Amino acid sequence: MSLSDTLRLLRAKRGGITPLDIEAATALPKGIYRQMEQRYRAVGDDDSIRILADFFGVPFEDLRWRLDWPRKALSRALVAAMANGSAITLDLWNGQQVPGVVRWWDLGAVGLETPDGQLLVIQRHAVERWSPRAAEDIAQ
Amino acid sequence: MAENLWALREQKKLSVATLASRAGLPIGLIMEYESGQRSIDPRHLARLGRALYVEESEIKLHSDPRPGWGALERQPRRDEGRPPAPPGVFQATKPPREKSPRPPRPAPVPRPPAPARPSQITHLQDLLLRLGRSQEEIEAEVGKPLAELDRQAASQLLVKLQTEMKEGKTAERHRAYLPEAVDQFELNYLTAAQQAGDLLGFVLFDNTHLTGRVIGFGPYSITVQREDGSETTLNKLALVSYTKAAAGKEGPA
Repeated sequence: MSLSDTLRLLRAKRGGITPLDIEAATALPKGIYRQMEQRYRAVGDDDSIRILADFFGVPFEDLRWRLDWPRKALSRALVAAMANGSAITLDLWNGQQVPGVVRWWDLGAVGLETPDGQLLVIQRHAVERWSPRAAEDIAQ
Repeated sequence: MAENLWALREQKKLSVATLASRAGLPIGLIMEYESGQRSIDPRHLARLGRALYVEESEIKLHSDPRPGWGALERQPRRDEGRPPAPPGVFQATKPPREKSPRPPRPAPVPRPPAPARPSQITHLQDLLLRLGRSQEEIEAEVGKPLAELDRQAASQLLVKLQTEMKEGKTAERHRAYLPEAVDQFELNYLTAAQQAGDLLGFVLFDNTHLTGRVIGFGPYSITVQREDGSETTLNKLALVSYTKAAAGKEGPA
């Protein structure tokens, strides 16, 4: 789960307080929280993540590593896997590790054909990490 | 009592030139009036009066010559005294000056071309990146490193690359594209599953499994009818995955 999805989930768990409420309650610059949650690319830095970890009462590291696995990087990996016709392995939120070939993907889910020939529809927010990463993400 | 023009002028501490300027009359005329060579033209009287801040009647129409000053003598013309030109020979009143040929201007020394601006180099590098072309490639093309380009060459190269950009000679997109519809593929899958009455097995975030037939869905939720007839709406945020399930089995096949 990307940092943006995680923040959305944490906010939902807090009763759905608004991004404005969070900005008002923290020292985050105006607009940064909304961008961290809504942007598909990685937004935020250690300072802003530390502030949010304190606010939500979660360990800093639990949020920090997710900054390097944004949704856009998943899109790049899916595009590359589809273009190459190669398999990709997705590490899921519930601890599952699913290998397969990408048959389709959109902004909400990935259609992965597993080795047993089943089409498994995986929610994108449930994907924590994946392998291989797209070339440009490895370069970073 | 009327006064001589020169006396009034001196009383006002004005020079002839100033008076002439104020009255809008030629200096020579003022001098002739002052010397008594000619009487003041009545048309000029008002002007002189205004210039001297006096009544017209205070100015003598015919000035007496200033004591000690002789009448103005006419200056001889330049050509007076010269022998007359022989008949038939044209003589200009003023001989044309012999024009000495102007020395030719030195040829302008060509200024060394200014080096390319840093902003031009940055812009070039950015364009190359967007076109997917390497700096080495373009340097080989122009025959020198980008940093050694002069301003004009850099400008020409910028125009060339911008034209290429406009013509769509861009590199293949490296950024992931986004599908046109947000949930197009998942929507199609769920629609087909609902219409076919497929049994789907769902895995939730806490690893619990649930099986049912899709009876409705939206962008954020899926409503399923379980085999016991009960309906459950699953928030997609709580979902991990789903697939077609074998009948009588909870969860994915």
